[in-house]
Amino acid sequence: MLRLSLRRRRQLLPYLFLGPGLVWLVVFFLIPILNQSYVSLESGNADIGYSFSWNWSVYSDAVSSYHTQFTRSLIYAGAATVIDLIIAFPLAYFIAFKAGRLRNFMLLLIVLPFFTSYLVRTVSWQLILSDNGWVVDRLRDVGLVSSNGRLLATSTAVIAGIAYNFLPFMALPLYVSLEKIDRRLIEAATDLYASRATAFRKVTLPLALPGVFAGSLLTFIPAVGDYINALLLGTPNQYMIGNVIQSKFLNILDYPSAAALSFMLMGVILIGIAIYARLLGTRSLTEAAAA
Amino acid sequence: MPHDDLDGIVERMLDGSEHSRRQFIRHLAAAGLLVGPGSAFLAACGGVKGESSGKKASAVAHHPKVPIGNWTFSNWPLYIDKSVLKSFDKKYGGHVKYVEDINDNFEFFGKIRQQLQAGKPIGRDMIVVTDYLAGRLVRDGFVEAIDKSNVPNFKNLVPNLQTINYDPKRNFSLPWQSGATGIGVNTAKVKRKITSIKDLFDPAFKGRVSFLSEPYDSAGLVLLMQGIDPTHATLDQINKAIDKIAEAQKSGQIRRFTGNDYSTDLTKGNLWIAVAYSGDLVQLQADNPHLEFVYPEEGAMLFTDNMMLPQKSQHPYAAETMMNYVYDPQVAAKIAAYVNYISPVQGVKEILLKNQPKLANNPLIFPPPDIVKKLHPYPSLSSADEREMEARMAQVTGA
Repeated sequence: MLRLSLRRRRQLLPYLFLGPGLVWLVVFFLIPILNQSYVSLESGNADIGYSFSWNWSVYSDAVSSYHTQFTRSLIYAGAATVIDLIIAFPLAYFIAFKAGRLRNFMLLLIVLPFFTSYLVRTVSWQLILSDNGWVVDRLRDVGLVSSNGRLLATSTAVIAGIAYNFLPFMALPLYVSLEKIDRRLIEAATDLYASRATAFRKVTLPLALPGVFAGSLLTFIPAVGDYINALLLGTPNQYMIGNVIQSKFLNILDYPSAAALSFMLMGVILIGIAIYARLLGTRSLTEAAAA
Repeated sequence: MPHDDLDGIVERMLDGSEHSRRQFIRHLAAAGLLVGPGSAFLAACGGVKGESSGKKASAVAHHPKVPIGNWTFSNWPLYIDKSVLKSFDKKYGGHVKYVEDINDNFEFFGKIRQQLQAGKPIGRDMIVVTDYLAGRLVRDGFVEAIDKSNVPNFKNLVPNLQTINYDPKRNFSLPWQSGATGIGVNTAKVKRKITSIKDLFDPAFKGRVSFLSEPYDSAGLVLLMQGIDPTHATLDQINKAIDKIAEAQKSGQIRRFTGNDYSTDLTKGNLWIAVAYSGDLVQLQADNPHLEFVYPEEGAMLFTDNMMLPQKSQHPYAAETMMNYVYDPQVAAKIAAYVNYISPVQGVKEILLKNQPKLANNPLIFPPPDIVKKLHPYPSLSSADEREMEARMAQVTGA
């Protein structure tokens, strides 16, 4: 053990605490990322192997061949995020402000589906939306689905699946940000003759923004890269970029394209977040991070 | 190694369960748990320097008889009656470490590719892979020849499989089980008789049809429909067949492209008619009498999974002894009764006729001679052609 002055030790201590996390990031994030960026610039094929060659054309080929799936991923994930926000906001609001003693129980209910595997949850949607199932039959009765129509293997099913699977990621951050709002602020607003609607608009909503931000990121980012929902609830016409990457990595063994597509997905998401953060303001971003 | 201990514990736990492959598949289908390629995890894949693998393995081998120690056998899940392994250990000594780690040919190749290309052993002494991967391994010299003097039961191999395009003398491969790719029908939904591959394109079934994502199977059937012998088809003909599938996909005729997971949708009636494997249907029928497998009048595809010795196999004699053991008709009958695919071993039917006549008379397990004539093995394509075909099909299947 090195003998260090107390001051020096105090200086080093924070880095020591940072250590495990830093090692984790380097080993499981930084190194794989660098490795994959290297792989993405290789050329060759599965039989003779791949070798490094600054092969940038992989990237342009990926855009020209798979822009449909890219756009589709963004649209599906965006739609699912908006749906989740619409469902989760009233839900979180109710739990935070009105649930009283039932609060913890209701939070448990939100998390409960997570006790079963993601795959099983998605497969059960196959059952719910099945062509001969109760749901589709009733929708046919009221004319929302044509007599020969179906729900399974359509865009509706995929978006519904994503929205369902990621709902807790939206609901929990929203709950946290709503729950910590100081009620006296709302009281103060009403004391100052704000109607309940105005108080909500001017006080509750702005204070909940960090939750909206965190929730929509936690929903949108994994949803863009998701492939399970499209695979199980869709057809090739619903496949997202995750399906392409999955198949390139595992079935076609075209590692450079798969890596390039992953990087572009990352790029698109980063740019999206940057714009979103700008729109909501940096302050709410840092607060969201704190939440 | 503690790692081995853990594997051993898990294997013993699995051994204890009593269900057959058939029951297991049925339960999976009922639970809707048969998922396609998606359920797999990413195999690690780094950048191995490209090294051309032009080396050809020698076609003759001599593997001295040595005591059998601990050796490793990789196979597909639920593809053996595990009591066979136990009696093998008892009879020949040593211990076979049986791993069920092959779920998809290309995925498996992705897992072992780096060691193969580096000329290293892959940690498995015997593997079971489907024709097209077997062909690729032979072509690239990634397998060892089988010392046939250690496999006297080789003589029991059925005549129609004694030669195959990628390995005419069966120097490197020995069939494990075969199966047919034809049409699976849910007769609760389809009221008329299905006889032809053309029925897959009948507009009456729009949106209720699935194809396999594997082009060897799907394009093979379309080629048969077009009157072309798929075993000798050119890449050009195959590409045209894939285009035909693409057209049906665009028009909404084809609902999904699947691996084995068509079984769930077919059972539930979401799919009415599907490109399907015979062995799966035998197993699914047991639970759902509305399911039927049709050998189309134009013919069907025949696939074979083959036992092979991967490059630098450490215990070739043990593996060959196992090959010999499972080619004993008594043992083969036990395996056939469990897995319900087509056994490549002669004499199995006679044995099953005595104690399990229902299985022995099932045309899906023992196809009658007029059907055997119409079963076509996969074509043997060059690596470049195969890649082009796979890439073209991948475009159609949406990835």
